[in-house]
Amino acid sequence: MSDNGSPLTITVRIQRFNPDVDRKLYLQDFKVAWQQGMTILDALHTIKAEQDGSLTFRRSCRHAICGSCAMNVNGRNMLVCEQPIKAHLNRKNEITIRPLPYLPIIKDLVVDRTTFWAQYMRVKPWLIPPENIPEKEFRMSPEEVAALQDAEHCIMCGACYSACTVVGTTKEYIGPHALLKAFLRVMDVRDSAPGERLADIAGSDGVYRCHTIFNCIDACPKHLNPTRAIETLRKLAQKRLAFEAARAERQKHLDKPVTSG
Amino acid sequence: MSNPSVITHDVIVVGAGLAGTWAAMIAGEQGVDVGVISKVHPLRSHSGAAQGGIAAALGNVRPVPNTGPDGPLEQVPPDAEPYDSWELHMFDTIKGSDWLGDQDAIEIMVKDAIEIVYEYEHMGCVFSRTPDGRVAQRRFGGHSTPRACYSADWTGHVLLHTIHEQALKHGVRFYSEWYALDVIVEDNVCKGIVALDILTGQVVLMRAKAVMFATGGYGRAWKITSNALANTGDGVAIAYNAGVPLMDMEFVQFHPTGVYGHGILLSEACRGEGGYLLNSKGERFMERYAPGKMELAPRDLVSRSEQTEIDEGRGVGPDKQGIWLDLRHLGREKILERLPQVREIALNFSGVDVIDELAPIQPTAHYSMGGIPATVDGQVIADAQSTPVVGLYAAGECACISVHGANRLGTNSLLDASVFGRRAGYAMAAFVKGGARLQPVESDAVARNEARITRLMSDAPAGKGESWSQIAAELKSTMTDNAGIFRDDARLRQALSDIRRLQERFQGVRIMDHSRRFNTDLLGALETEHLLTFSEVVVVSALARTESRGAHYRTDYAKRDDEHWLKHTMAHKSPDGPVLSFKDVNINWEKYPPQERKY
Repeated sequence: MSDNGSPLTITVRIQRFNPDVDRKLYLQDFKVAWQQGMTILDALHTIKAEQDGSLTFRRSCRHAICGSCAMNVNGRNMLVCEQPIKAHLNRKNEITIRPLPYLPIIKDLVVDRTTFWAQYMRVKPWLIPPENIPEKEFRMSPEEVAALQDAEHCIMCGACYSACTVVGTTKEYIGPHALLKAFLRVMDVRDSAPGERLADIAGSDGVYRCHTIFNCIDACPKHLNPTRAIETLRKLAQKRLAFEAARAERQKHLDKPVTSG
Repeated sequence: MSNPSVITHDVIVVGAGLAGTWAAMIAGEQGVDVGVISKVHPLRSHSGAAQGGIAAALGNVRPVPNTGPDGPLEQVPPDAEPYDSWELHMFDTIKGSDWLGDQDAIEIMVKDAIEIVYEYEHMGCVFSRTPDGRVAQRRFGGHSTPRACYSADWTGHVLLHTIHEQALKHGVRFYSEWYALDVIVEDNVCKGIVALDILTGQVVLMRAKAVMFATGGYGRAWKITSNALANTGDGVAIAYNAGVPLMDMEFVQFHPTGVYGHGILLSEACRGEGGYLLNSKGERFMERYAPGKMELAPRDLVSRSEQTEIDEGRGVGPDKQGIWLDLRHLGREKILERLPQVREIALNFSGVDVIDELAPIQPTAHYSMGGIPATVDGQVIADAQSTPVVGLYAAGECACISVHGANRLGTNSLLDASVFGRRAGYAMAAFVKGGARLQPVESDAVARNEARITRLMSDAPAGKGESWSQIAAELKSTMTDNAGIFRDDARLRQALSDIRRLQERFQGVRIMDHSRRFNTDLLGALETEHLLTFSEVVVVSALARTESRGAHYRTDYAKRDDEHWLKHTMAHKSPDGPVLSFKDVNINWEKYPPQERKY
């Protein structure tokens, strides 16, 4: 029902493309009966079940934690599972859904993230721990956890990556998602290779490629701030040796209680 | 894009959540060649959706002395007596399981718990911390101490990313977006699997010396569920079709706090941090059902209490089918620090801010206690005598080891998946290094699965042609109405006849997408077939069990019956439907004999 009580029919305009049969991209309109609480993902499911089973998209968890369903809606990247569709309708009750930009299309709304994952691998996303592992946990203060700025919440959905105009021009760029992962590792007091990591990302494909356009911040569904992380990495890269030395010093006491607060 | 039609590894793992990735990482570390297939990218696995924590008796935190059950927590002073123990964790788990959990397996899990949490920490997992830098812990339902190690309310997510990174470090090969169609078991020996490369649509034979299933739970057979869309019980159904029995399938946990109308999880950490449940009269009704534990009673009990309130007319919301979750008294700061994801979910899906509003919730199908029977080393067994299916392993939610028995405690699932995934990894590495060989495949499994796909993609007979989504919807309806929180003979018989009718109708299913490339219409049909397969086993097992235990509650047999039913249900496939046999529960009669379960 619409606000005045009459049934509301919405138009969902979807970019379609199956490279095996289509010569070019096209937009297709589907009419859907809006229902209270309908998300954009619900509308896609309704279309797939009732109108066109070949409509292809990724999805899984339905609550913005698995990172499958990042798409471009009315020009903005977002996770469609957590978005009420009504908030994205124009005055004609239309919404336009396209796949994430700057990436090859596999089929309809499914994109090829090969370069995205290759850059993730490039930054060595795993922790490189010190040699002396304590019997129990490494001691880490709540403040040291807070310094990670929730970077560990990144769900690798790709919304930031494909909103980044630098990525649009070169896939050599490491990208905001992988730089945020590098930030997580560099800032973690348990990581013993921050110097190596900073040296790697300070190259021409790394932190200096970022033009601070802030698209990644706008796109991030988890409210993370890759731009700020990249800024921090830039500053640390300039005093890499001192940072490395401070880390080595901190790691001498990783098995000891911390004081905080 | 083309792949060879036969792929070979020493070990093939199906599923890349915590259990599968742990196994793959360990086997890789042991120098064994491992391939992991996953229907979604590994980091999309549903382990990542777990919120509240992972249980381990670290004893880092205790209640401030002389405060009540809701009182504040503090870090245990360094010189104080240990506050928690694996023995206590073991007892809580046994009691939570309503004595159906195998006590030898539970003992291994709770002992390994401590080591595995430290191992996660050493691998870089970002845990929340105590002021002196230890892993922080919180209260959770059914646990008698604050035992849940957590990372705000993102615990599964950080564990999944951590272990995936480690697997990459050890060179594990991931086949992302590959779907298992079949497992090849001949003469009780597993020889490999048949898989679909989703991108190309090619059907591939994957041969291995050892195969492990880590395919997750089967909660997608219910209308309201916290489970991801991917959790269609594929591995469970595939194993069953290959002649492997399924154990304790009647035990399905309904979580007390799903988002009203959606089923998406609002973590038990809400109550662990002190949240209340209220009925339409504003009463904390748990006082009537579990006065000692209130909202932190185990999930089966809390969900039944909620449903009773709803059925007796004290529900909330437009159709009175909900309950209020009240977090307002926790305060903004605590909610933002400890429950940020919960707040976001309630905002997006219910339009309420839990900082100053009540959130409408309802019980939601959440966890599958039953599954593929396996030993503590992940070895799948073929019968009640524990005859091994050589080369076949299982761990995580698809497996039934059984550590959760009739009801799982919160934070024991991340633990189960991690501990037994790791053990299966070591066991498979030892099996391979001990001289296991690739076995010749006799069957025409590839052709059979090609035919299955060809039929679904073919044109329907004139005027016929069922839609899988319609059949799936009807199945979920009957499972919810007739095989849900409260069950009885008549309702279960109704469910069974509905399922059998739907199974017949499934033969007429045709899909609309006729392209081989990334065909999610085809996946939907195959998944629906799997839902129909295991749902029949759930219902037949539930019909047979004429007692109430843990999450299985029969209104016509409302008492636990240890004399007849202190045993596991095993279901084998036959042309006439599931055939049941029963397996003894491992019980230490001196230390942990069955008691009345009261909270």
